[in-house]
Amino acid sequence: MGKTVTTTAIRLVIASAALLTGLALGPVAPQAHAQDLQVEGPLAGAPAVIGLRIYREMRFQIQLQGTMTLNDEFSRTILTGGQLMFHPTDWLGIGVWGGFGIVHIDTALTDQVGERGQTNEVNVLSLPRPGGFTDQIGIIQWMAAPQIQFIPLRGKLGIFEKLFIDTDFYILGGVGFVGIEERKDVTAGQFSTCRSRGDLADQIACLEPTQGERDTRTAIAPTFGAGISLYMGDWVAMTFEWRAMPFAWNTSGTDESGNSRGDFPDDQITSDDQLAHFNHMISLGFAFYLPTEPGLSHMDEDE
Amino acid sequence: MRLRSVVWIAAALSCAVPQTIAAQDMSFDLNEAEAAEAEQPAEGEKKPEGEAAAEGEATAGADAEGGDVLAELTADTGKKDEKEEELGPREQEIAEEIYAVQRMYVLRNGRFELAPSLAMTVNDQYVSHPALAIGLNYWVTNVLAVGASFLWYQGVESESDLNFSVRRSTRLAVPITEYQLGAHLNFTYVPIYGKFSMFNDSIFQWDSYLVGGVGMMRTRPVAVVDPAVRSFDFDWRVAFNAGIGLRVFVTKYLTVFGEFRDYIYLEKLENLEVSLGADREDEATWIDENATLTNNMTVHLGVTLFFPFGFEYRYPK
Repeated sequence: MGKTVTTTAIRLVIASAALLTGLALGPVAPQAHAQDLQVEGPLAGAPAVIGLRIYREMRFQIQLQGTMTLNDEFSRTILTGGQLMFHPTDWLGIGVWGGFGIVHIDTALTDQVGERGQTNEVNVLSLPRPGGFTDQIGIIQWMAAPQIQFIPLRGKLGIFEKLFIDTDFYILGGVGFVGIEERKDVTAGQFSTCRSRGDLADQIACLEPTQGERDTRTAIAPTFGAGISLYMGDWVAMTFEWRAMPFAWNTSGTDESGNSRGDFPDDQITSDDQLAHFNHMISLGFAFYLPTEPGLSHMDEDE
Repeated sequence: MRLRSVVWIAAALSCAVPQTIAAQDMSFDLNEAEAAEAEQPAEGEKKPEGEAAAEGEATAGADAEGGDVLAELTADTGKKDEKEEELGPREQEIAEEIYAVQRMYVLRNGRFELAPSLAMTVNDQYVSHPALAIGLNYWVTNVLAVGASFLWYQGVESESDLNFSVRRSTRLAVPITEYQLGAHLNFTYVPIYGKFSMFNDSIFQWDSYLVGGVGMMRTRPVAVVDPAVRSFDFDWRVAFNAGIGLRVFVTKYLTVFGEFRDYIYLEKLENLEVSLGADREDEATWIDENATLTNNMTVHLGVTLFFPFGFEYRYPK
């Protein structure tokens, strides 16, 4: 009888332990089972693709790009430039990107301000003469960025089930340097001198030359983006890229700092009037790879 | 003695045969399961020692029915370890057929697609028009769908600082509008599809589609020129839409997608001129006579759910 009780107790303990172990491992077991199914078979452990063209590893990329800024308030910039990259692996590249602003297009808002803007005692510094607004807006002269590219995705796409193109998707990040041309600072002393001229017409005449006075500086900003490469051959690809470069600048050349119910206007144009902007852009490019022959993945393993 | 030896040899062979079948011909199909059941010893039949260690889990299950938990646990553990040692890597012993032409990962024809998403305006510096959106498509073929989408804007829109800044610095009011909702019918066509490998390890499918159609939007001007007097009610506008999207399949019924769509319509904006005297109160003077062609370029980010979840391929593998 005592032996039976002991045996029953042992069974209960073991059964309880088994039950608890089962409950503890329960959530893991189905996952492990699923993974077993994935790795079994003759292709177990094999790469997703064998004989994949390795377009980037140990190759240089020289790219010619056209870039256009987006969502600009007053001036849209078209840049021509490119990038030089070296890829130590197929998924990593390091290099430099850059471009020069060759065309600056005024937005409709700039035209509207020029045609319909009004000047009075309060905004005479911001807009001495509406017709001269085009001369005071900020523009991007050039951009450059040492950067790292990360290429996590490699694939192909079919167009109308007829044309098949190798492609990859990449993200990038780096430090951007931007050459900006803005309205030159107007000091509180300059404004005070003009204000003392008397009526509005004299103040406008005094401040109007400041609309066309320009200053340049280099802004430093983080840059990040993403793009897709469409390989048209072993050594050439077409790229579409989106990039952002947030930094602060005075796009309108106006007196912006201060609260309207407090210290606005502060009657000077300085770095305090530079407002944060997201500054993003899209690029279309053609990339050329050197050496011209791409590699092939896992071919040694087959031999 | 000789008879006992024969029985041992027969038992050993009977254990070895099902083990080989289970390892080399396992196909996870119904026939396999039935074969395994058929190979179990008859109930009540005495099994020689060592058989439990060589057989699969079915035998342990039979023992468990007898209620001997300790024996079951002991037998199960021993079998598993020994089996793994004997078999080595399981992957080398499983036959898997490879087909010259693989099936399409997903069939869409005859299925519905429900697509909730968040929408954001990308081309309006003055006021953003984010929206909660939902779409429903029916796939007529594998590449063509008809559907409808609905967007709700009111309550989540916001005016940018640019408007305020421009008004303050240049005394120029920029007319803006507010959206309430949009409802559209559209076709979807998939001309581009593909697949990506991630670090040459895992593969996922994606496609790119064109979408376009016509619908209605309910909008109204926001009074910025003469807000003290003017106010506007929502009104319907006919809107066309066209866009391009990218859909990535997470499973055969779940995808994530990003879509760029332009909603094009003629907008009625606030009149920049303010009439004097009694005409200032005349509502007919509040709206600009000329309608303005407006492009509300929008990015949608969301998920889609295909249902029914499952589907059958037309031809055998």
